[in-house]
Amino acid sequence: MTPIVECLVAFLFGSVAGLLMQRSRFCNTAALRDAIMFKTYRNTKAMLVAMMILTVGFTGFMSVGAGHPLQFDVGLNTFAGLFLFGIGMVLAGACTVSTWVKAGEGNIGALWALIFTFVGMFLFSLVWSASWWPPAPQTMTGQINAPALQLGFANAQTLQDKFGIPAIVFGLAQTAFLGLLYRGILRRERAQHAEHEKHQKEHQKKKAAAAAAVEA
Amino acid sequence: MEFFRKTLDPIIALAAIAVLDIFMFLLMGAWTVGGGETMMTGLMAQAVLGDELDRIPFWSIVFPPHADYWKIYISLGMLFGAFVGAVASKEFYLRVPRHLSEWVLITIGGLLMGFGIRLAYICNVSTFFGLMPEMNLGGYLAMSGIIAGAWVGSLIYKKLLERDT
Repeated sequence: MTPIVECLVAFLFGSVAGLLMQRSRFCNTAALRDAIMFKTYRNTKAMLVAMMILTVGFTGFMSVGAGHPLQFDVGLNTFAGLFLFGIGMVLAGACTVSTWVKAGEGNIGALWALIFTFVGMFLFSLVWSASWWPPAPQTMTGQINAPALQLGFANAQTLQDKFGIPAIVFGLAQTAFLGLLYRGILRRERAQHAEHEKHQKEHQKKKAAAAAAVEA
Repeated sequence: MEFFRKTLDPIIALAAIAVLDIFMFLLMGAWTVGGGETMMTGLMAQAVLGDELDRIPFWSIVFPPHADYWKIYISLGMLFGAFVGAVASKEFYLRVPRHLSEWVLITIGGLLMGFGIRLAYICNVSTFFGLMPEMNLGGYLAMSGIIAGAWVGSLIYKKLLERDT
């Protein structure tokens, strides 16, 4: 595919995704923050469903060597970077997805977050140019590189190559795990709902008793 | 149209996006935002600094700026799609943060997000909708990181809320 066609496909995908996210108010930050802070799981459930579909789809195609999985070494920087990101997204009240979607809805705060995401990236480019860490893509080896705190590269494809078991088998195991998580959330929600109803009934009973006492 | 009047169930929205993401994975690669944002940063820096940008090796070695990078257009598409959705459902209006504290938090949050994405070489979208489903080791590292970060962020946020009230 020529770069122009790739850009068009990407724009089309982004447009549909942006529209669907705007209409559903999906937010990746909320998926994590709300589960941690408020014990509500509206967005968390949607994220898990998408991850289950994607795991089956990606590992299924990877089993036959199709698709374009990401290839780069990972290590301490992967954990540390997303740790900083996690703090940032809660403070900003938006992540990479919702900054774009909310900016499209006219949210100036989201646009501001986006501008400072760019600034943060530029600042990192200065830090990298002084530290040269994490290793540049050209110097990645795919193997463990202890001095650079890198664990190398591994995914469903490398598991398939190593163990001779199709990638989809690993994918189905992961999907089953995500499914269990999803079921756990549903159970928790049902328990929350039952608790809520119990409280309401007690409240009504107390109200009725108080009214009866006043009448008497 | 009903679609623009009612809020869509996010499970349906994300399931549809997941199916489209599989198509894009087959053609070019999985849904990502951070890479496109970095390229935009590079292009903007190039527009401002010109040849001076060569003095920052990151932009010649890790991310040489070029405008025909497909990942840029996912983000622009999301902006466009959300704008269309908001206008069609009469939900488009300018929302401006009212308190100085909000501006400060958003600024710090944005900086941490940008810095974090580049340090990790991936963003949160890649983590959940790319690396994790590809069962990449980085996906598990990144997910542990983002959950720990969101937890710490929530603690900070709660503290700030308590102080304000």
